[in-house]
Amino acid sequence: MSNTYIPINMRVERIAVEDPDKALRTFDLAFVDEADGEKFTYMPGQFCEFSLLGKGESPFGIASSPTEPGFLRFTVNRTGSVTNEIHYLRVGDTVGIRGPLGNWYPVEKFKGGNVVIIGGGFAFTTLRSLIVYMLEHRQDYGDMTVIYGARNPDLLLYKEELEEWQKRDDLTLHLTIDNPVEGWTGMTGFVPAVVKDVAPSTENAWVVLCGPPIMIKFTLPVLAELKFPDARVYTSLERRMKCGIGKCGRCNIGSKYICIDGPVFSMEEIGKIPEMI
Amino acid sequence: MVRLEKDKFDDFIRSLAGDYIVYAPVTAGGKSSFKVVESAEDIDGNCLVTDRSPKEIFFPHSEVLFEYDRDGVRELERSGKPIAVWGLRGCDVKSLAMLDKVFGNARQMPDNEMFQDPYWKQKYDDSLVFGLACNEPRSTCFCNWLGGDPHGGDGSDVFVVDAGDAYLMKPGSDKGKAFIEKMTDAGPASDADEKKAGELASGARAMLSDPLALDELDGRLKAVFHEDIWEELSAKCVNCGACAFVCPTCHCFDVQDEGKGGKGKRIRIWDSCMFPIFTKEASGHNPRQLSRERFKQRVMHKFSYFVDNYGESLCTGCGRCVVACPVNVDIREVIKKVILFEGKGAR
Repeated sequence: MSNTYIPINMRVERIAVEDPDKALRTFDLAFVDEADGEKFTYMPGQFCEFSLLGKGESPFGIASSPTEPGFLRFTVNRTGSVTNEIHYLRVGDTVGIRGPLGNWYPVEKFKGGNVVIIGGGFAFTTLRSLIVYMLEHRQDYGDMTVIYGARNPDLLLYKEELEEWQKRDDLTLHLTIDNPVEGWTGMTGFVPAVVKDVAPSTENAWVVLCGPPIMIKFTLPVLAELKFPDARVYTSLERRMKCGIGKCGRCNIGSKYICIDGPVFSMEEIGKIPEMI
Repeated sequence: MVRLEKDKFDDFIRSLAGDYIVYAPVTAGGKSSFKVVESAEDIDGNCLVTDRSPKEIFFPHSEVLFEYDRDGVRELERSGKPIAVWGLRGCDVKSLAMLDKVFGNARQMPDNEMFQDPYWKQKYDDSLVFGLACNEPRSTCFCNWLGGDPHGGDGSDVFVVDAGDAYLMKPGSDKGKAFIEKMTDAGPASDADEKKAGELASGARAMLSDPLALDELDGRLKAVFHEDIWEELSAKCVNCGACAFVCPTCHCFDVQDEGKGGKGKRIRIWDSCMFPIFTKEASGHNPRQLSRERFKQRVMHKFSYFVDNYGESLCTGCGRCVVACPVNVDIREVIKKVILFEGKGAR
């Protein structure tokens, strides 16, 4: 039988530094063996275990979209031992990945509906995947509204792409930063307040919410106030993980394992789990 | 049912060891565990519940997943012989079936190899399990609370009763039936043997305390999740994790790379939700910061979450945790207190 613990070999094709602190780097990885790439089919919201032999593994959401064949994109925040080592990678290095793991944003359910995507900080990765995917299948969806906030303009991911999206007339993009900065033309204020101001219509609408716990915590009451039903609000959860395949027990909360039952959950599902957020 | 005279037991084990890697209870340095044996004299025939659980036969404390060097990864060669386990008590047979639910596949995608644990399956799938009836359960045994029976053979390929001068064996699966049919050193059991086995069974059942009904437990646990009963229940617990390590069903693990100079191995090691680092994230955030939250997680996983996912408790009533706990936390008392709790969140 195939061994699910053996990582797939990938080659680092491109590295982009996302912020002046160089704490956020984006890696585009190509399959060393093209056959692996053909077998690797995924959806926006899924994740991989990123493996460095001798250093360990860490789970990251896939930031590329399945509509962008040939590579997988991951944006990695340097915070622990594995992510620190990942930041030392150079173009041409070989790394491993295991995946695709977990479930995905319910893009099939969203069809015909309006979609509001709310993101904060570097949790924007799988939201990028979702946006790119939806833009590629634009005719399947109604209005697309994206609200994306970061502490300051430097900490917004994928800046060039954001600029491109701002020019589109089939997507409404609201960018916000915590405090005013000279030259900033977007909005100012925390994500929950911006959501309240923008007040997206609930009509036939779905919400995808992804960001730091504090942002989620304060955005949920705003969405409730705007009368978005819990069953139509989705978020992606994170927990410490090891195996990624529902065995090692680390990401267990309530009867769910984030790695196989999630990471994407509706707020309705989350409401049934006693120990959450 | 067949009868294997004890004076033929050594031949039996030696011949079994020809076809299988045979594990059986072995006591060394005052501690008992399942180890590879070659002959009957290696086996501790009086050992009831081994100190260490048999999960380590199929899910070792530390297991190499693969080796690596600069050229990539290399899987380890496995021995060609299947595993046979002699002397598994009913509770332990049941524990392996529970672990198989977790390692064998994932709930959502039973046929997807991505969710099947090859290290478990390679060892467990073609194993031959000899269940051994308990004639004299210990005071810490409570298998009958969890639907177990000291003379229950459920899940065994071959079910064995120690009748003093002989082992009485009967098949519990097709695999076991085929094995018994091929046995040359056993003879048919007599009516007297059947009667003896029956007497031993009723004797053993009578030695167990009356079971506590656990039907309500899952619901009760969910009802008291946010109540302060957990502070009292966990007050003694030092989060040492001994309970999880001796537990035949606890299966959480960590994965670590061990090596230097570009060469080494990726291993998995038993871990426990009792340890604060288990859930501590790189940011410093820990969803289960408090000792009582971790204590609660272990109890909830066993008696509520596993029930939700697999329809049974992740506990066999073997009592190893009761014996191993350095501060005498008794899981039976914990369960009882949850069921009888009258404070907030009670009925």
